[in-house]
Amino acid sequence: MSKGYARFITALFCLFLAAFLAANLLLPDRQFSPQENRYLTQMPELSLESVTNGEFMEDFEEYHSDQFAGRDFWIGLKAWCERLTGKQENNGVYFGTDGAQTLFAQFTAPSQEDMAQRLAYVNALGENVDVPVYFSLIPGKNTVWADRLPQGAPLADESGALEQAMGSCVSVEWLDLVTPLLDRQDEYVFYRTDHHWTSLGAYYGYLALMEGMGLAPVEFTGTPELVSDSFLGTTYSSAGAKWVQPDEMYRWIDQGDVKVTSYFTGMPEEGSLYVDSYLSEKDKYSYFLGGNQPLCVIDTGLEDAPSVLVVRDSYTDSLAPFLTQNFSQIHLYDLRYNNMSLKDYVRDNGIDMVLVLYSVSNFTTDANLFKLGL
Amino acid sequence: MVFSTTYFLFLYLPVVLLVYYLAPLKLRNLALLAVSLLFYYWGERIYVLIMFASTVIDYTHGMLVERCKGKGNLRGARMAVASSIVFNLALLGFFKYWDFIAGSLQAVGLTFMPVLGVHLPIGISFYTFQTMSYTIDVYRGDTRAQRSTINFGTFVTLFPQLIAGPIIKYKDLGGQIDSRTCTADKFASGVQRFLVGLGKKLLIANNVGMLWDAYKAMAPGELTVAGAWLGVLAFTFQIYFDFSGYSDMAIGLGRMLGFEFLENFNYPYISKSVTEFWRRWHISLSTWFREYLYIPLGGNRCSKGRWVFNLLVVWAATGIWHGASWNFLIWGLYFFVLLMLERLVWGKALARLPAAVGHVYTLALVMVSWAIFAIEDFGQLGAYLKVMFGLGGVPLADGAFGYYLRSYLPLLVIAAVGSTPLLSMAWRKLRARPAAVALPVLLLAGLMVCTAYVVDATYNPFLYFRF
Repeated sequence: MSKGYARFITALFCLFLAAFLAANLLLPDRQFSPQENRYLTQMPELSLESVTNGEFMEDFEEYHSDQFAGRDFWIGLKAWCERLTGKQENNGVYFGTDGAQTLFAQFTAPSQEDMAQRLAYVNALGENVDVPVYFSLIPGKNTVWADRLPQGAPLADESGALEQAMGSCVSVEWLDLVTPLLDRQDEYVFYRTDHHWTSLGAYYGYLALMEGMGLAPVEFTGTPELVSDSFLGTTYSSAGAKWVQPDEMYRWIDQGDVKVTSYFTGMPEEGSLYVDSYLSEKDKYSYFLGGNQPLCVIDTGLEDAPSVLVVRDSYTDSLAPFLTQNFSQIHLYDLRYNNMSLKDYVRDNGIDMVLVLYSVSNFTTDANLFKLGL
Repeated sequence: MVFSTTYFLFLYLPVVLLVYYLAPLKLRNLALLAVSLLFYYWGERIYVLIMFASTVIDYTHGMLVERCKGKGNLRGARMAVASSIVFNLALLGFFKYWDFIAGSLQAVGLTFMPVLGVHLPIGISFYTFQTMSYTIDVYRGDTRAQRSTINFGTFVTLFPQLIAGPIIKYKDLGGQIDSRTCTADKFASGVQRFLVGLGKKLLIANNVGMLWDAYKAMAPGELTVAGAWLGVLAFTFQIYFDFSGYSDMAIGLGRMLGFEFLENFNYPYISKSVTEFWRRWHISLSTWFREYLYIPLGGNRCSKGRWVFNLLVVWAATGIWHGASWNFLIWGLYFFVLLMLERLVWGKALARLPAAVGHVYTLALVMVSWAIFAIEDFGQLGAYLKVMFGLGGVPLADGAFGYYLRSYLPLLVIAAVGSTPLLSMAWRKLRARPAAVALPVLLLAGLMVCTAYVVDATYNPFLYFRF
């Protein structure tokens, strides 16, 4: 190596380090990462105490990496490298066999005992209230689109949990969503980049649920309206899979005279079935009903129709528009933010029927199900 | 502090290089000492005091030994050496082995030693060995005592090799501590070596490590014969690329600062016998034990029985040095038995067989040793080994094995090739001009990819904000 060449190599290395040292110092720190959907660590406070107990170092390590220049680019580059070396998974997300366009989040099966406990809470609700209680679990992509999973992928099967749920309903009535969705598995029933079902999937779910509850579902005859063709969901975020084509989102049912009261902060405020502003953000799924809220009450203006309480997760956000066609009043209730007695809630609000509706993955992991029996 | 993090690569390292090269020559060791202490303090905080103590005590012991010898007081010199050894072993013994011994005694009903939950200060196994050998070498006359506390402190705390070796002996480095030259040539070769090590760690070791983690976490009922071997193969590559990657990074960083450390690995997986494997694996540790334990015990210049005993002691010590747990002791003794068998029974026959036999024989035995090394729980280890040897009627392979093999095959092939000298031979065969063009390209690509992996290591999307 000539001296000049050695200097060139030295300079190359030093400049690379220096460039990022400078960029990290000069670029303003970000508060929030839309890509990761979380607040990023900020510069920790330097004090004698935080240094001697090591908190400063720990926080600084996080801070430095969180605020690293071009963080999202590096994450994407790593995902590409993994894919190019033949990996069918990155950061716990499996790449579908359709050119890695469908992304599957990891699923871990619950133990039988754990599942039995969860189901006992559901039955407790059925015993507590005097109105009929229906219970259903929405299967995930890994069940409905199992044929797109990489062969032999170590992703647990949902069927054990589903069978156990079906066989354990004592005081509640089980409604099957697996068959209707499996029958439509060739259609666009899930977002490829997100864990939720699409409005089409929700529509098929709606048809099956109404039939199971003894109501007449309204067949959809119009044409759904495309509201976004650039939805990149949470599974995409986990995978860092920049090659994925974004998902499309559709609006099926018009708002009409339906009145939505949202309780985002616990206080009633006027809501909407669709919140357009979310379509220009990363978190597009919140277009439906405006995202997380402890309680949402929908008045449809329908007379001679029952009222329903849905104890639910976010899959119901996109189901709600369809439900407006069959109920006079719909109460969407999120267990995570409420500690009321459901028994009292049903009585005080004159609820005619209750639906407990969760995705399998949320039902098997949520820590608030015990509140069903309160 | 760990090398494979954003704050080491893009904050600590450039600042250290800047400070080091801006400092006047006379102050460079002081600068190195300061940044090395910061490096250790960052992760270990108060335990930096142990390193201080180790430095001060061995500095004084070295001086004491030299003074006694100068006055012809051999007995005094011997006492000083003994005192240094006792001190260093006590330090290592307490911080590394107290809880292990106490726990083992409690398991058989002896409760006079309480389990204290002692924190294991990182790198203590390395720096206590380094300081211990220093005093011994002064006594043996292999080196002169270091007069400057700053220079001696620099030797003990030198950050490139502080936490994962190689174990550097003072007699090999003392001259360079006192004076060394920094050239662009050395720096550039250090850059290459450092990146090779960083790549080995981040791109190969961490990745195949995930494959091993998947197999290690499986219940015996989920394992298959082929899967169990695939898992151990993954660990075989993980430990080599991780450990030799750290050594490469240390050697590379050393060169950037003007030092030349001895090699620590020499393609161990191409060995044709277990004896050869141990001449190529973690060389700085085996030579340390050879010089400071095996030979003082009498080596092989003694009766056959005593020789076997000496080797037994060395391999038990080698085993337990790797960690305070019974499986490491068994791992050391496993090699003792194999090395004995090669010396006394089939070593010569093995050498006459075709090379391929030797390779397969060595790799298989080494892989079994890694299973013992990697699984600390005896019940799990027994179950895993049973599956590896097809006992207990487990299936040969399953869908998960196919999935993992497909997913990791390219990486495993790269790791296999990288375990041989092929790549470095090919690089040396390359003509000067294409090499001159390829080097900066590879360097930049390597830096980019390593940065991507190092940033991704903390990738932590929050997905449950909304069911």
